[in-house]
Amino acid sequence: MPFENNQAEHLQRIRKAQAMGGPEKLDLLHREGRLNARERVTYLVDAETFHETGLFATSIRPEMRDKTPADGKVAGFAQINGRPIGLIANDFTVLGASSSAVNSKKVHHVKEIATRKGMPLVFLGESTGARMPDVMGAAGMGQSQNPTQYRRTRESPWASAVLGFAFGSAAWYACMSDFTVMRKGSVMAVSSPRLVAMATKERIDPEELGGWRLHSQVTGLVDMVVDTDEEALDAIKAFLSYLPSHQNEIPPKHPVPANADQAVGGILDILPENRQQVYDVRKIIQAVVDPGSVFELKSRYGRTIVTALARIDGRVVGIVANNPLVKGGAIDANGAAKATEFLVLCDSFNMPIILFQDQPGFLVGLEAERQGMPGKVINWMNALSLCTVPKIAVILRKSYGQAFLNMGGGGNADELAAWWSAEISFMDPVAATVIVTGLIPAQDPQRFDQAFQSVQKETSPYESAAVYGVQDVIDPRDTRDYLKTMLNVHDLRLTDGVGQHYLSAWPTSF
Amino acid sequence: MIVQVSADLTGTVWKIMVNIGDQVAEGDALAIMESMKMEIPVMAPEAGEVVEIPVQEGDVVQEGTPVVRLKV
Repeated sequence: MPFENNQAEHLQRIRKAQAMGGPEKLDLLHREGRLNARERVTYLVDAETFHETGLFATSIRPEMRDKTPADGKVAGFAQINGRPIGLIANDFTVLGASSSAVNSKKVHHVKEIATRKGMPLVFLGESTGARMPDVMGAAGMGQSQNPTQYRRTRESPWASAVLGFAFGSAAWYACMSDFTVMRKGSVMAVSSPRLVAMATKERIDPEELGGWRLHSQVTGLVDMVVDTDEEALDAIKAFLSYLPSHQNEIPPKHPVPANADQAVGGILDILPENRQQVYDVRKIIQAVVDPGSVFELKSRYGRTIVTALARIDGRVVGIVANNPLVKGGAIDANGAAKATEFLVLCDSFNMPIILFQDQPGFLVGLEAERQGMPGKVINWMNALSLCTVPKIAVILRKSYGQAFLNMGGGGNADELAAWWSAEISFMDPVAATVIVTGLIPAQDPQRFDQAFQSVQKETSPYESAAVYGVQDVIDPRDTRDYLKTMLNVHDLRLTDGVGQHYLSAWPTSF
Repeated sequence: MIVQVSADLTGTVWKIMVNIGDQVAEGDALAIMESMKMEIPVMAPEAGEVVEIPVQEGDVVQEGTPVVRLKV
C-alpha cells in the first residue's frame, strides 16, 4: 500500500484527537445522563454534514500536547435542516474546555467565517474560563491581541446552549447570543463558586450563584430552560428555524398548517368582558398565529411582557404582548428590558413586529424607580423608533400613558388597530377621576361614579378612530385576517424584506 | 428545596386557592390578589408541594411578601 506509514499515522492521530479526555471522564458524563461534546454535535447537525476544523490542534505548551485533543474545543461547519452553520462545542473533558491561545484561534476562525459568509453560529458552552497557568503573568495577558473578539454586530444569528459549568468565555458567548438555552443543573457565572468563595470568604451554592432559577427568573440572561442536553439542542434547532441565515435575507417561510384560520373564531371566549378580570395573553397569541408556531422567549422573566417568535400565514413574526395575567399587565422594569432585547432581535433579522396592547401603564413606585425604570422605558422607546421592520400594533383592551407609545401607539407602529373592547387614554379612568375631581370612590361613591362615567366615555376606540389616531376598529375575530393583510401591505418590497438594522450593534441585555 | 412564592405587587389577598399538602403544577393559581381594581393570580413558578401559607384571606400584603412556600 502506498504511503502506508502516512495513512496509519493519520488514522492514529484522528483516533487520538477524537478520544477527547479519555474513557473515565466520558463515562462520568454518561452516568450523569449528559452527552459529550462530539455526541452533542452529532445530535445537533444533519447526518454526515459536520466538517471539523482544527481536529489536530493542541495546547501551545509542548508538555501538554498529548493531553489536549483538539485543544478542548470541537469546532467546524455543518448543516441544520439543510442550512449551513458554524459551531463550537466545548469539550469539558479536556482541561475543562478552558480557553487557550490555540483554541481561541479556532473559535476566531469559525466566528469570522460565519460572520463574513453569512451563517448562524452555535456555541455549546461549558468551560472553566481561561486556561491556567497559560494566561498567568504579564506575558500571558499580553498574548492575545484581538480587539474584535467580543464585538457583536449581528451579521448572522448566534445561538448558545449552557450545558454545564460556564465561566469566563462560555458565559460571555452565551450573553452575546441571540438565543441562550440552559440545561437545569448548569451554572453560568463570571467566576467559579470556588474562586468566588476564595475572594469573598463565603461558601457559595453554585445554583444560587448562577443556576437556572437565577438566570431564567431574575437576570433574564437565558431565554429558555430545559431538563436535558437533547432538549437544549432541539431548542437551538427550533430557534434557528425562525431565523434567516444572515441579516441580508428574510426568515424562511413555512407551509401553513391545516385549519390555521379556525382558532381565532373562539377569541371572544378568551377575553373577559369584565375589565377587572385578567387573562393569559398567550392564549390570544395562540389563537391568532399559525397553530403550533409559538416559540416563547424568557417565559419566566419580565412576565408582564410576553415575547415570542411565531408565524402568521407561514411568515415569521416577532410578537410583543402585554400580559394582564401578571401584575394586571402593568409593565415592570424587567418586562421593559425584555421588550427592548426582543426588538433588537427582530430588527436585526428582518422579522416584522406585532404588538398586542393591554396594559394599565408602566408599574410605578419605589421598586420600579430603584430598578432604573425611566432608563428602561426610554431604551425601549428608542429601540422601537429605530426598528425599520414592519410594525403592526393592535389594542386589545386597556392602553394607557407612555406605555401606549412604547407598545406602538402614537405613530410608533406602521399600523394601529383597536378591538371594539379597547380603551385608550393618558391614565386609567379610575385614577384619572381621582386626580381630576379629587373625589375618593369610597367616600362619595355616587358623585365619583358620575364623574367616572364622563371620564371613561372618552376612552372609546371610536373616539381615537374619529381623529384617525387608530386606523381601524376591528372585531377581535378578524385579527388574524387583519394581520395577514397588513403584513402584506407593509412588506418591504424595495429591499426584498430587508431592514436597515439600526439595532444590530445593540447589546443583548439592558 | 423550598421555593418562596411572593406577591408580585401590593394588594389584598382575596382568595387562597390551595391547602397545605396540595401538589401543584407550574402555572397553577395559588391565590388571587385584588390589586389595581383587578383580580390577579399568584402562580406557582414550578411544580411542588404546598408546605406553608403565611397569609390569610383579607390580608393586605406588600410586593415581595411570601404568600405560599413550595417544596420542590
